[in-house]
Amino acid sequence: MRPRELWRTTPFRLTLFNGAVFALAVMALLGLIYWRTAGYISHQLDAIVVSEARALASAGAESLPRRVREAVAADGRAISYYGLFSADGVWIEGNVHRLPPDAVPDGAPRDLRETGFQPGARAVVQRLPWGELLFVGHDAKVLSGLREIIVNALAVSGAVILLLGLAAAAALSLAPLRRIDHLRAASRAALRGELGVRLPVSRRRDEIDMLAGLANAMMDETERLLWEVKSVGDNVAHDLRTPLNRLRAMLYRVSQETRLEGPDREMIDRALAETDELLIRFRALLRIGEIERRDRQACFEPVRLQSVLEHVLELHEPSAEDRGVTLDCDTIQAAPPIFADPGLLFEAVSNLVDNALKFTPSGGRVRLRLLMRDEGPRIEVVDNGPGVPDDEREAVLNRFYRSQRTRTEPGSGLGLSIVTAIARLHHFTLSLDDARPGLRVALDCWPRGLEA
Amino acid sequence: MPKILAIEDDPTTGEEIVAELSQHGFEVVWIADGRDGLISAVSGDFDAILLDRMLPRLDGLAIVTIIRKAGIDIPVLMISALSDVDERVRGLRAGGDDYMTKPFASEELAARLEVLLRRRAAIPRQAALTVADLEIDLMSRTVRRAGVEIRLMPTEYKLLEFMVRNSGQVLTRTMIFEAIWGYHFDPGTNLIDVHLGRLRRKLDRPGLPPLLHTIRGSGYALHAPA
Repeated sequence: MRPRELWRTTPFRLTLFNGAVFALAVMALLGLIYWRTAGYISHQLDAIVVSEARALASAGAESLPRRVREAVAADGRAISYYGLFSADGVWIEGNVHRLPPDAVPDGAPRDLRETGFQPGARAVVQRLPWGELLFVGHDAKVLSGLREIIVNALAVSGAVILLLGLAAAAALSLAPLRRIDHLRAASRAALRGELGVRLPVSRRRDEIDMLAGLANAMMDETERLLWEVKSVGDNVAHDLRTPLNRLRAMLYRVSQETRLEGPDREMIDRALAETDELLIRFRALLRIGEIERRDRQACFEPVRLQSVLEHVLELHEPSAEDRGVTLDCDTIQAAPPIFADPGLLFEAVSNLVDNALKFTPSGGRVRLRLLMRDEGPRIEVVDNGPGVPDDEREAVLNRFYRSQRTRTEPGSGLGLSIVTAIARLHHFTLSLDDARPGLRVALDCWPRGLEA
Repeated sequence: MPKILAIEDDPTTGEEIVAELSQHGFEVVWIADGRDGLISAVSGDFDAILLDRMLPRLDGLAIVTIIRKAGIDIPVLMISALSDVDERVRGLRAGGDDYMTKPFASEELAARLEVLLRRRAAIPRQAALTVADLEIDLMSRTVRRAGVEIRLMPTEYKLLEFMVRNSGQVLTRTMIFEAIWGYHFDPGTNLIDVHLGRLRRKLDRPGLPPLLHTIRGSGYALHAPA
């Protein structure tokens, strides 16, 4: 399982998101506790410094230095600061030797921002009735201890939440990911045309199962419809072919045995020709079914495309000449052999050339080309006939479709469908585009990517 | 009169085969069961066997395999409703000489049988083939008509040789396409006609009696002028 895949799953992201929200909530809670506690402690400190200053001030001018000294000595935790200064700020007594520069001697408690004190320390500076200045401060060791505890708690809980969240997310998403991998494998097989494939459904009946079940139902329906259509087509062709053959046999016998002359003879011949035309179409229909049902690579072998094209050229050259169409073949570039069914490939290219010749007027040109692309060899049949309009290009690949302007030409209308079926069997791509003027049909002889 | 053994379980097709082949001057023995068919094939003196691919009791493929294992070298034309190319390959590999898909045009059946019979009877080594005033030198691959050499393209030569080897015999377009090009599909339109038309233009020059004949509704035949 790739980490990137893990990251993309919904359970993974949801769990991580939940973890983040939870971590934020914990931080907010601890923050609130700290903020309220700090306020309370600060308030307490204020009360302490103010009451101590007041108590010291009440001692009187003579005993004050002694009281200050006693107070300093009594402070075992070294969290109280005392300082007695003359009216112009010269130290007299205490463990604070210098007044803070921003001190205001109004008796109101303030933050003590001097270095050497914990943040949150409070102090009061009071001018005594006899002019001297009394400084009383209280460090905020409790507060900083509390802060430390809270920050530690935050760090530890954050790490725990993160690790637990990741673990939970991975655990939650691995199982669905594994299931989705199975689904993907099955879908790929279905995409390759394996109609019998179904997506795996567990007994959990969760949302993945619901979707898989839905997809399976769709695939069932598609397969049913496909078989129905196929069997209707095949059965019709098969069932009708037998009586048609009998009809043809009868017509043939009539044409052979009796001595018909003139219009009667002509009628019989025309009837025979029409029957043959019908039989050709049935054969083509059955042929498509046959190719589609084909055991995929039973007849595959290395094929030299150059020789396939040369044989096609050789087969069609006289008929091109009769039609007054130039047919040439351009296979200069050496293409490596491809793995394919040589008979079917010949049939496909032959059909393409047959089509091109049919729809190219006398004096026109049909070119059979073998090109080499990065991905593999490409066969092109290019004519300079009337071409196929943009909006019809998709449709000409459908069974029986014939461009409006060419309806009068003989043929089954199934030639391109046979080519499509052959291309699909090989996973090759058949494409039509404008050759300005004319039509360019290209058969890309490399497997079309299915892993998209 | 060539004697043909037809092993075919479908009564309609069987009757058709008997009617058609009798009409073409064959003597037909029709057997509807695979095992009985095999017994007849091994014991009887037939000139060719018409063998359905799918039969009750013993499969057509099995029959042809057993016949060949037994060293019986009799022409076997296999017929089947299975038109798949793989099936054809399997049939021919098992020892069949030709393979036809049901339903078939009845004259094609007779034509193919005659080609098979002739192939078996083929004169072992010949240096030349002749029909009327047409001569083919198989060594130098040259063709003369009434003493005048005819220049042919490779495909035209192959076509002519095939027609001459089976002279007097109706050959359908499908048979010609399969024999000359070696592919088994419907080449469509009139491709084969065009090739034969070219050959005819070179062969039957104006003033000469035609050798290459179009048989209406079935195919072509090459034979001496009547």
